[in-house]
Amino acid sequence: MACLLSLRLFAADAEPSPDHDAGTKRVPSYTVMPDYPTVARRDRIQGEVQVCFEITREGRTRRIAVRRSTHRLFEKPAIRAVRRSTYVPVADDVVLSGIKSCRTFRFTLEPTVMETDDPAPASG
Amino acid sequence: MDMRQKDRSDPGLHWLAALFLAVSLQAHAEEPKTVLGPRNIYLHDGANALIAGDIEEGVRLTRRGLELAHGAREEKAGHANLCAGYLLLDQPEEALVHCNWVLERDASHWRAYNNRALVYLRLGRYDESEEDIRKGQALRPGSKTLKIVKGMYLDETKPVTPNVEVDERRSAPQTSDDELETDLSN
Repeated sequence: MACLLSLRLFAADAEPSPDHDAGTKRVPSYTVMPDYPTVARRDRIQGEVQVCFEITREGRTRRIAVRRSTHRLFEKPAIRAVRRSTYVPVADDVVLSGIKSCRTFRFTLEPTVMETDDPAPASG
Repeated sequence: MDMRQKDRSDPGLHWLAALFLAVSLQAHAEEPKTVLGPRNIYLHDGANALIAGDIEEGVRLTRRGLELAHGAREEKAGHANLCAGYLLLDQPEEALVHCNWVLERDASHWRAYNNRALVYLRLGRYDESEEDIRKGQALRPGSKTLKIVKGMYLDETKPVTPNVEVDERRSAPQTSDDELETDLSN
């Protein structure tokens, strides 16, 4: 967040630079989270998947590919989420580096804490 | 970023899926290979009625089919389906009688283990439910219905909340993040 904040301040104060490379500092405008796959939840499967992609000038994602995953069940939900996500567009004079961004999704199942009916200990 | 996801699974559908899959296979398994049509039309129609959701009719037809059952295979099929039917009618004690009938005569009947596991789950007898799931999966390792039942058992005994976190990382094979920081600050 500190990096993103500094980027915003710089953009507001500095003169626009045609050589400025904003490809790897793109700001997410709409981040879609993947659904936890039903089968993975049913079978108590946890995992992680890293998806890499390019960001167009208009802020859309493309060339989305799984770089690594611990279980294939998580791959399609992650790709769908990235496909639907968007970034803040950049000006026409900004040079895009073409460097890919990557996003890692971690799918975990946390034990649900349930209330018990145990009575409070009596004071004595 | 930490986003909690609401569990959207429908427990009612899971119960139906777990029972109906066990019932449907039972119905078709009993069809003879040399006679046109099912041997025991009541058992056959009873199973189909259960699958279609007409539980009372399914139970009625299956009971009729049991009266006319030929041999142990048809009897087992009938009792196994009655176990499923009575559970769907929310009569778990009656369902248990029929599942027990099958398993006392055939310890390799995975569908009966499947259904009895659900009965035990309904009765809150979790250890016995887990045992039946284990036995069923030992007999039928790839069974989807047993996986569903196991999932239901885990939801009852060890509920979990799905959680998805995202971590933004940049991949820059040509330059490092430090160099980019330097460039932007100039």
